[in-house]
Parts: sequence; structure tokens; C-alpha cells
Amino acid sequence: MKKYSYVGKGVPRIDAFEKVTGTAQYTADLRLPGMLYTKLLKSPHAHARIIRIDTSEAEKLLGVRAILTGKEVPYKFGIYMQDKETLAQKKVHHVGEPVVAVAADTEEIAEQAVELIKVEYEELPAVFDQRDAMKEGAPLVHERLHEYKHAPFIFPKPHTNIANHFKLRKGDVERGFKEADVIVENEFYQPQVQNVQMETHTSIGQWLPNGQINIWTSAQSPFAVRHLLSVGLGVPIHKINVVVPYLGGGFGGKAGLHWEPLVVLLSRKAGGRPVRLVMTREEQFNTTAVRQGFYARVKTGVKRDGKIVAEELLFLWDAGAYADYGVNITRAAGYSCTGPYEIPNVKCDSITVYTNHPYGTAYRGFGHPEFHFATERQMDLVARAIGMDPVEFRLKNAALPGRITATGEKLREDAGRVDECIKVVVEAIGWGKKEPKQVGGKLRGKGIAALWKAPAMPSYTSSSAILKLNEDGTVTLSIGSIEMGQGTPTALAQMVAEELQMPIEKVKVVTKRETDFSPYTWQTVASRGLFMEGNATLDAVRKLKEQVRETAAELFGVPKEELVVAEEKVFVPGKPDKSMPLAKLATAGIFPDGRGIGGPVLGYGMYTAEGLTNLDPETGQGLPALMWTFGAQGAEVEVDSETGEVRVLKMVSAFDIGKSINPVLLKGQVYGGIVQGIGSALMEEFIFNEKGALLNNNLTDYKICRAQDIPDEFVFIPIENPQRNAPYGVRGVGEHVRISVEPAIANAIYDATGVDLFEIPMNRERVWRALKQRGEKVASA
Amino acid sequence: MPLPKFDYLRPQTTEELAATLAEHGADAKLFAGGTDLIVVMRDKLVRPKYVIDIKGIEELRELSWDERRGLTIGAAVTLSELIASEVVRERFGALWKAAGTLADPTIRNRATLVGNICNASPAADTAPALLVLWAEVEIVSANGKRVIPIREFFKGVKRTALEQGEFVRAVRVPNPPEGAKEDYLKWGRTRGEDLAVVGVAGLVANSGKKLVRIALSSVAPTPLIVPEVEGVFKGGGSVEGQIDKAASIVVEKISPISDVRAGKEYRLHMAGVLTKQILKRILGAS
Repeated sequence: MKKYSYVGKGVPRIDAFEKVTGTAQYTADLRLPGMLYTKLLKSPHAHARIIRIDTSEAEKLLGVRAILTGKEVPYKFGIYMQDKETLAQKKVHHVGEPVVAVAADTEEIAEQAVELIKVEYEELPAVFDQRDAMKEGAPLVHERLHEYKHAPFIFPKPHTNIANHFKLRKGDVERGFKEADVIVENEFYQPQVQNVQMETHTSIGQWLPNGQINIWTSAQSPFAVRHLLSVGLGVPIHKINVVVPYLGGGFGGKAGLHWEPLVVLLSRKAGGRPVRLVMTREEQFNTTAVRQGFYARVKTGVKRDGKIVAEELLFLWDAGAYADYGVNITRAAGYSCTGPYEIPNVKCDSITVYTNHPYGTAYRGFGHPEFHFATERQMDLVARAIGMDPVEFRLKNAALPGRITATGEKLREDAGRVDECIKVVVEAIGWGKKEPKQVGGKLRGKGIAALWKAPAMPSYTSSSAILKLNEDGTVTLSIGSIEMGQGTPTALAQMVAEELQMPIEKVKVVTKRETDFSPYTWQTVASRGLFMEGNATLDAVRKLKEQVRETAAELFGVPKEELVVAEEKVFVPGKPDKSMPLAKLATAGIFPDGRGIGGPVLGYGMYTAEGLTNLDPETGQGLPALMWTFGAQGAEVEVDSETGEVRVLKMVSAFDIGKSINPVLLKGQVYGGIVQGIGSALMEEFIFNEKGALLNNNLTDYKICRAQDIPDEFVFIPIENPQRNAPYGVRGVGEHVRISVEPAIANAIYDATGVDLFEIPMNRERVWRALKQRGEKVASA
Repeated sequence: MPLPKFDYLRPQTTEELAATLAEHGADAKLFAGGTDLIVVMRDKLVRPKYVIDIKGIEELRELSWDERRGLTIGAAVTLSELIASEVVRERFGALWKAAGTLADPTIRNRATLVGNICNASPAADTAPALLVLWAEVEIVSANGKRVIPIREFFKGVKRTALEQGEFVRAVRVPNPPEGAKEDYLKWGRTRGEDLAVVGVAGLVANSGKKLVRIALSSVAPTPLIVPEVEGVFKGGGSVEGQIDKAASIVVEKISPISDVRAGKEYRLHMAGVLTKQILKRILGAS
């Protein structure tokens, strides 16, 4: 009988007090002695050569400490593709790209200085649509693409705008289409959107004259920041220390490297004074990274009995000016392209295309919300073409354990179950129940969509954890993974307390991440944290116990196998004289005569992703997935055909999460993700003018969900088929909750109105237009 | 993001305010709630040398009502104060409702009604209600005082009838005719806080002669009243037919633009939809 039970319980977040009272520190809260403030001069053009920069007037301004232009910082950065300039060097690539940076004693002075700088540009032809950018003779966003360094699994096409072309070939798609009774082909489109974190990108950098670089930053990936900075600047890693306090929302947009090189380089020019940059909300939209735009063409061949025999997919990503994570999003979406279904013959081309838009980066779901909109709409459209119920059609093709994915992976027996997710969602939303279609003059409908995703990461990524036993018997856990609202530290504290059988109040998880001290982790991305940090933490607990037992065995004179660590003690069960508080072993064991033995107790745990391989460059075949998390979303909507308003009445969701470690935090993740998905489904979009300038770079005109826009009802049903190699059986779900919200709503809109939508956001005006067009067609028929 | 440098002045009386404006008018901006001013200053769209805060003037905090004069809303009265007023809620329903749709509670705690009309946005939420309620604007300067109907106050996008050196002391709203019914409907891009894609206020009364007034925002360079609507209801025919006719007149008389918030076609359509909805409500037609 366990005395302490935390796993599976809704224990309060361990950071709740700090966050609710405002004592939690974020990067922008930090004030360092001598700190300077940065303002940026940004490009007004989408594509232009920089002819001349005149900073002479700005330099005269009292309080200006450093002015930096691209010419002085000829570095290129990038996680998968080394293409990103800190400040535009010879030309600007998008409206809002930083051209000159000023560090000054105050923000006011920096801003005045920026206004005094004159830049002369020569405009170049620009390209804004990824389809146009792929055409012969299109303006090139990066003329030197063939010289750029890139990861081995990225395939750029020199002298074009193609930053990566991922190919997937399974079976024989031509033969498959010949076997098909019905072929359905459709196109889908989504604009660029933004992550809209509450905290905008914030970095403080310091490059001391002795070569030491210190960074405080709002980053999801402190170790990646350190690594990429080291590679880009040619500075050894041990000279770089990256500190990340609490993060005010990441959603992928703070993964990798962003503005850290800029503040560090400004600091170097300012003689080593710390330099701070806080992006304004407008800059968050225009200048920092966004989610890529997306175009898809999907062609599906199906037998009359509902079996899909072939699918050909083309995904074209509007990466904007720099490739950043975009090239790997392209790859991840490419290898997951079928969605959670087994299809014998698949051909997918997923292509990252440079344009003169703001640059794309990771965004919660890493390409999966985008392509699932296409594939899960397509599932409904194909089912309709053969007259089959869309639920039955999905179940018939479901990727169940033992079935083969598009990359040739045979799904493990303990893989999750998409069919169970679909079935419970269908049940809870009352699928097929006879209900009035019209309520108060408005049309009601229901839609479902399934989903899957695996962490998108290199095959060998790893995590580690350090668990220290303190002098009073409490323990302190250090991890490299960031707390950005998702609650991983709380879940890990639950695991530690459960494993050590001690009160959770005596477990501390260090809040700050600091690369000089924190154990390594690859990044806080990809819904991998609980799985990977969890495995590393469990390993750390094992090591800590092992060390305790080794010392105690000497002290008690018993074999260490007889010893148990629990309830803040180490003891031999049933022998009260062979028992000792852990506190007495924290720094060393002590024999009765005073001699010391052992030493400070510290468990170092690690975990490396298992069983992943590279994918074949020509066919995409291989093992990309640490785990697949499956799920399904159901939406019930009400459509006002007079105004085009779509109201989401109810969302029903199920994910096979393996095990719910903290049901309360889990619910928060689910609801939050769905709300974010509804924003993208119904209102969020970048609107540009014909010159590539963003017209809605603020929260007045870039709409996100507010309280009035969220559904009346959420139903979440956890499915718990444990994954054997996971801590307590868990699978990641941070991103999945936000996938397939859009297609579920679009499918429900069809159910309500009989109108098919292929483009998001499905805002009031767009839905009104679509309904009106349909009305006109019906009238003229 | 820092604001451009300015001198902050805080007069204590309207006389002092008038004198300050007379001296600095060309270089000064009046500051009440600041919810419009601070935004344009931050964006460097205006760089006033002087920012004159009117919130220290007790007289401008007046929010009063009496049987004869109706409602007086001083220039420093916030929308939250207006919404909290029982008499506004009971007697000036369209205005009360319009005030409650403007932005969100945090903004309404600062923003003033007079500021909303002086900003003269085509989308001003309180303007259509003031138009159908026949409100008057009391304008003061060092040279004296004048009162003009709200209809004559809006002169263009972000332009008003105020001359240099003048300020609005208060908006006066006469009591609506006996038995009047009024309402305001706003259509945005979302259910959450938004600027109006179209806003429509309506008022009907039947005391002696039949009154029907419709005014709109976001469909022309200024908020506007459509007086032609009234004629429709003087003639015969079914109420439904009259309402349809009124809506088509509204759509004819407005001139919305296409912008980042909505297309012209959608605005025209929604102006018709909202006009019908509001007339049905206030005429009691099903």
C-alpha cells in the first residue's frame, strides 16, 4: 500500500502561487546594471537592395552607445538551414526585417536615434505566393542558396526558392489510382498566422571583453540557443551561458534562435554592456517569426467499399524570407501526410518555398494543424463521393496497431488507438442522432476529424535530469525543459514524489534554466517533454536511490538489494533497527565512530529517443516517430446564413494520451489548444497589401478568440492505452489538442449548410460569401 | 514603447482650459481617457507639444438629468460611469447599449463619450445613438459658447466641427419623445471585443406624429443619420414591406469602403440586415 499517490491526481501547479501573485520573473522583468535598450529600424520594403545607410546624425545623439548595421555582422544563423541574417546585409527580404539596430541608455533615445537614420533602397521585384515563387524566373529570395550550410535531411534546390523538398513514396500510386473506383481531388489554402504569445520575444545579451557571452532570453530551447549561437559566431560553447526564466507562452514561436545574436552583437559593440530587446506587438507580427502559409492539393483514390487505395499529396509551404523550422515542418508534415490512416500507395511532395513574407517558424502542431485541415476535409469529401458515412469511412482506414504507416513503419502493439478516440467522440457528440437542423432561424451541424502526430525531431535527440538530495531530506530536480504554461515541471514533481514515496511539498523543481548548470535537453518542443524529461527523471530517481542504497548498505552491513527507499527513509523492511532518514545520507553517510562514507547524493538521469532512423531521401521510408499520439475532435456549430456567423456550440475531444499524469493540467491544455484552433478556424489571418506590407499587425485587426468566442461546452475524454517505453505510459499531447479543430468545424459547417469550405479562416464575411454563391448557383440552376 | 516628449498641463476650470487652448491650441491635444490619443502618440502619428488633461476639471464630470433639459454628459464622464447610470439605462436605451459595446471594460473605465465623438472615427460606437436621439454638442472656447446638433459635428474621417481653441464641454441629449423605443445593434468580425463593421441605431415614436430615425456607423466617412427612412413609414402598406423599403434606402444612401476589417459588399449587406433587425425590434414587428 502506497502512502503517497500523486500520479493521476489533479495536484495544483507548483508554480501557481508565483504566477497568480505576479512574483514569477520573466525576461522583461530583469534589470541589469548598465543595461542598454534596443530599437530597430525596419525595412519598409518586401524586397530591396540596400544602397546606403547613413547613421551619422544618430551617432551624435547623447546616450547612443552602439549602432549596428548588417554589413558589420556578416553571420548566418539557422537550425536546419543557415540562411538567417541578424540584420539585413545586402538586401531586405521582407517588410519589417531589421536593417539597423540602436542600443542606447533609454528606449526614448534609441527610438530618437532610429528616426535619425536614413536608408536608401532600390526596390526589387518581390514574390508573395508560394506557387508563384516556384515558377521559372521568379525573383529569388536567396540567390546564394547553393552556398548555405544545412542539415543532411534537408534538400534545397539551388538557384530556386525551394528551401526543402521532402519526398515520400510508398507502394505504387499510379497503380493504386487505376484500382480506384472513385478519385477525388481538392485544393486547400491557409494564410500565415502568428503564435500570439502574451509575452513578446525578449532577449538580453552581453558579450564581455574577455569573450564570455551571457544571455537572458524568452526561449523554448536554451541549449539550442547556445549551440546555434556557437556555430553562427564561431565561439566555443563553454563561453556562452544562456538563462531562461519563466516563459510567457511559446507555442513553438520561441523555439530555436531568434534575436539572441542581435543583442549579443550590440553588446560587443557597446563594450560589453548588457543590451535588451523587447519586441513590440507590431514587431511580434512583422519582424519575429510566424506560422507558414499553406497550400495543398490532395488526390485520393478509393474503392466503393470505402478502402483508400491511393493518395497523392502536394504541400506547398509559404516559408517567408527565411527557412528556420519551416524546412523541418515541411518534412514532418510530409512523413505524417496521410493522417491516422493506412494507405497502401502514397506519394507526397512537401515543399518549403521562400517568399518575401515574414519568416515562418514552428507553431503548436508543427504543420499538422495545416495539413490535417486538408486531409480531414478530404476524408469527408471522399466519403461523400462514395456515399459512405464519414465516421465509418475513417474507421475503415484507421491506422491501428500492426498497420503500416506511409513511411513503412509497422505501428507497435502498444501504439495508441485512433479508432477508440473516434468512437468516443462520435458517441459524445451524438453523431447521427436526429436533431433539428434549424434552431431559431440558424442552421446546426456536426463534424468530426481525426488526427495523429509524433514529435518532429532528429532521430537521436536526448534529455537529462539531475535530482539532488538536500541536507534535510528534501529533493531538488533540475531539468533543461522550459515551463511555458504547459505544466511539465508539476507533472515531473508528481512523478518524483510518487517514486520516492514522499510528500510533493518536499520536491522542488528549479524554475530557472541556465545552460552552465542545468542538465541538457534538446528543446522544449514537439510534445516530447513529458515523455523524454519524464524518462530522464525516472532514471535520475533510480540513480539517486541506488546511491543511497549503496551507502546505507555499508552502514547497515546488509546487501543493498534488501534496502528500500521510501517515506524519506532508507530501510530494510520489517527491521526497525535498519532504518535511517534520507537526510542523514544527503552529504555523506556517517559510521557510529564518526567516519564518513559515500558523498553528496545526486541522481543523474538521461534518456535518448529510441528506435528512430533517418528517412530515405528519395522515398521518405524509415522510422521518424518516437510515439504517435492519436486523437479525434468533434464540433457542433450553428451557422447564421444571413450574416455568415459560425458559432461553435460544443467541442468534443479525445486523445490517446497513454496516461493522464495530472487531469487538471491536462484539461487546461486541451481547452487552451481548442480555443487556439478555433481562433485559426474562424478569425486569424495575416492580411497583406499588394506590396507585402502586413495590414493587421496588431490585436485590433488580427483577431484572436476572446471569452465570448469560445464554445459553450467542452467535453474531453482521455483514452489511456499505455505506451510501454514511456514514463507511466504517457504520450505527448501539447500540440495535438490544437490539431483538427479547423476541419472538424469546416465539416460541421457543411453538415449545417451544405457548403464546402476549402480556405481558412472561415470568418463571417467568407462564410457569407460562400453561402451567397451557393444561393446564386441554386437560383440560376 | 515610449511616447514622444510633451508638456503635461492640467487645468482646474473650464476658463483655464479655454485660456490654455487659446494659447497652445495649435500644438496641443486634449486628453480625457487617452484610449485614442495615447495610441496615436505611441505610433508617432501625432506629436503634440502639450497634452492637456481635462480630468481635473470638476465641471466636466457632470452627468445629470432633469425632466426639462434631459441628459447632460460632461467631457470627462467615462463610458463605465454612463453605463452605471440608472437614468441612462432606463431613458436612453440606445445610448446605454452602444456605450456597452464600445471596446471592453478596461477601455470603458477610461474612455469618455465626448472623447469617442471628438475622435470622430467613422466607427464611433456612440455616434449613431446620439444621432437618433437628436443630441446637441456644447462647444466652448475663450470667445464664448455655441451649441450645435450632433448631425453637424462630424465633418469627415477624424474631423469635427471644432475650431482651433474650442473644446466640447458636454453632450446634451434631450429626452426622447413620449413612448419612444430605441436600440443599437453592432456587427463586428467576432463576438469578442471589436470595432464595428457596421453599427445601427434606431428610434421610433408615435407621439402626435410618427418618428422613425435610423443612424449608422462604419458605412461612410462619418457616422450618419438617414433621414429618408422616415418618409417610408408615412405611407401605407405592411410594416414588413416598409421595413424592407427602409433597409433598401439605407443601403442606397451609405457609402462604405473595403478595408482590412470588411469588404464594401459585406458592409452594405450587413447594414441592410441590421437595419431590418433593429426596425423589427423597435416597431414590434415579428
